[in-house]
Amino acid sequence: MTAPTTPGAAEAGTPGAVPPAPTRPEAVGFDGLPTATPPPAPDPAADLPSVIEVRDLGIRYSLRLTRKNTLRNTFINMFRKREGPKEFWALRHVDFDLVQGQSLAVIGPNGAGKSTLLQVLAGILTPSEGGVIVRGQVSSLLTLGAGFDQDLTGRENILLAGAFLGMDHREVLDRLEPIIEFADLGEFIDAPIKTYSSGMRARLGFSIATSVDPDVLLLDEVLATGDAIFRAKSKARILELVRSAKAIVLVTHDMGWVTEFCNRAMLIEKGAVIANGEPADVVAIHLEHAEEAKRAKLEQIRRYGGEAPKLAR
Amino acid sequence: MASLPKASQKATPPAYRSTSERPSTVGLVAEGFREIASRRRLIRYLVQADMKKKGANTVLGNVWWVIDPLMLMIVYVVLVTVITQRPQPDYPLFIFSAILPWKWFTSTVSDAVTSVTGQERLIKQLHFPKLVLPVASTFSGVTSFVFGLIPLGLLLVLFYSDRITPYLLLIPVVAFVQLVLSMGLAIGVSAVNVFYRDLGNAIRHFLRLWFYLSPALYSAEQISSLGVDDPTITFLFGLNPFTILFESYRNVIYAGTPPMWGPLLALLAVSVAITCLATWGFKRLEPAFAKVL
Repeated sequence: MTAPTTPGAAEAGTPGAVPPAPTRPEAVGFDGLPTATPPPAPDPAADLPSVIEVRDLGIRYSLRLTRKNTLRNTFINMFRKREGPKEFWALRHVDFDLVQGQSLAVIGPNGAGKSTLLQVLAGILTPSEGGVIVRGQVSSLLTLGAGFDQDLTGRENILLAGAFLGMDHREVLDRLEPIIEFADLGEFIDAPIKTYSSGMRARLGFSIATSVDPDVLLLDEVLATGDAIFRAKSKARILELVRSAKAIVLVTHDMGWVTEFCNRAMLIEKGAVIANGEPADVVAIHLEHAEEAKRAKLEQIRRYGGEAPKLAR
Repeated sequence: MASLPKASQKATPPAYRSTSERPSTVGLVAEGFREIASRRRLIRYLVQADMKKKGANTVLGNVWWVIDPLMLMIVYVVLVTVITQRPQPDYPLFIFSAILPWKWFTSTVSDAVTSVTGQERLIKQLHFPKLVLPVASTFSGVTSFVFGLIPLGLLLVLFYSDRITPYLLLIPVVAFVQLVLSMGLAIGVSAVNVFYRDLGNAIRHFLRLWFYLSPALYSAEQISSLGVDDPTITFLFGLNPFTILFESYRNVIYAGTPPMWGPLLALLAVSVAITCLATWGFKRLEPAFAKVL
């Protein structure tokens, strides 16, 4: 394992500004690796450069343009007054800063806009309102094997993925051997991807995605891949990346990951930031809200005599 | 444990900025061309992958690129000879000099239609200039044209050696004009197809109609003789880019005369304009791709 390079990570054992982690029955569980301590939050007085700036960010989806769009529907819609909303804000009025050394966990219920936020930070979605600035090399682990070409070999796919990621050709060649070594596919590396099992594909994808040493690391719950041995290996690699990245944004439903990796947390509900601050506090609010939602649903079910509640129109 | 090497330390980390503001029209087109230029290697890989895929599941593989235009030529020669009884002299060569570029054009456009929609998963998960996709399909079409020059050479050497002239060397010039034209159309249709998937169905019929309205199986003079009393038909016919292209190919391959320089230059100018316009439209629509797909 390489030496941690995050400022202050050397004394990671003594959590300074980090609140005591809430007790979890099993710290790491699935791979038996030692629990990581989140890097200590940077001193707010230190005036570190901000790595991510998000200003009044809004992402609007037009409900008229969907994938089922055909000319026929367009004509129909032209002559018919549509009821219901024409647009939908996946995120709105989102403001936050992330300075060097911070790792942010984004939590919230399904459909709250967490993954949309990551997509904006990765440059995949363009803001409809406001803007973001990300300083430094971004790597998103949203991309496990997304660009694989079925007919190319593993080796050729590494070159292709490197080109898609915008890497320099020499850089890709430098990384080729380490990526192949890490993926550990044996002679399958020169066989077409279509002959791979899904686990092998995930391993290759993980190896490519984590081969860059990014300044800003975006993670979206892609961490459990492959068999047990590879999972342990990949977790170690993620920890390594987490230590060396300047800033991390992690989207997760696993509250264990939040306290393990992050020194800040943000709760998003229905496209708006509800809470932003200490992980323990934010997790507490999230759990409270989740509990409330669950109670409301149970109440509804009870009222309708055990039947599933009808969808609100 | 295998550990990956550290990234080479960059002097200045790239700052990435994304706002709701859009660059100006000229800025968008310039940005599009810059993206294409900076991702040349990616385009090359995509072309190579496409070539590999097209030859992958057949016994003869890429040999089909040589056989295909020949077969098509034989079909049309039989068809036209039976119907008209009195085709042009050296009709196989006459028809081949139009079939070859047309096959290139149709395969480019029909590949380009699905070039963006086919990469749906990638577009939703990775930020990259989407323009490389239609541009890559344009260039992979070129390979089929280049392979088609092999049977053309064989035809000329074996059967029509008296028609070999230095003008044959001008084929790349005419092909370049066609390349610019098909690039513009490829960029345009690939972007529109994201929003209206009907385009993929409609375009096949449109292309077929276009082929029969262009002087491929017949010569431009035959049409002119029809339109003597109606100058608008001759005029409209002359506006068809493929009238200019087919006639120019035929001049250099079949007739041994120079291409139609004037119309060809005009077509080049129009094609450049179409490519700029399509690039602008593509860049305008690009931010919506990840949302709509």
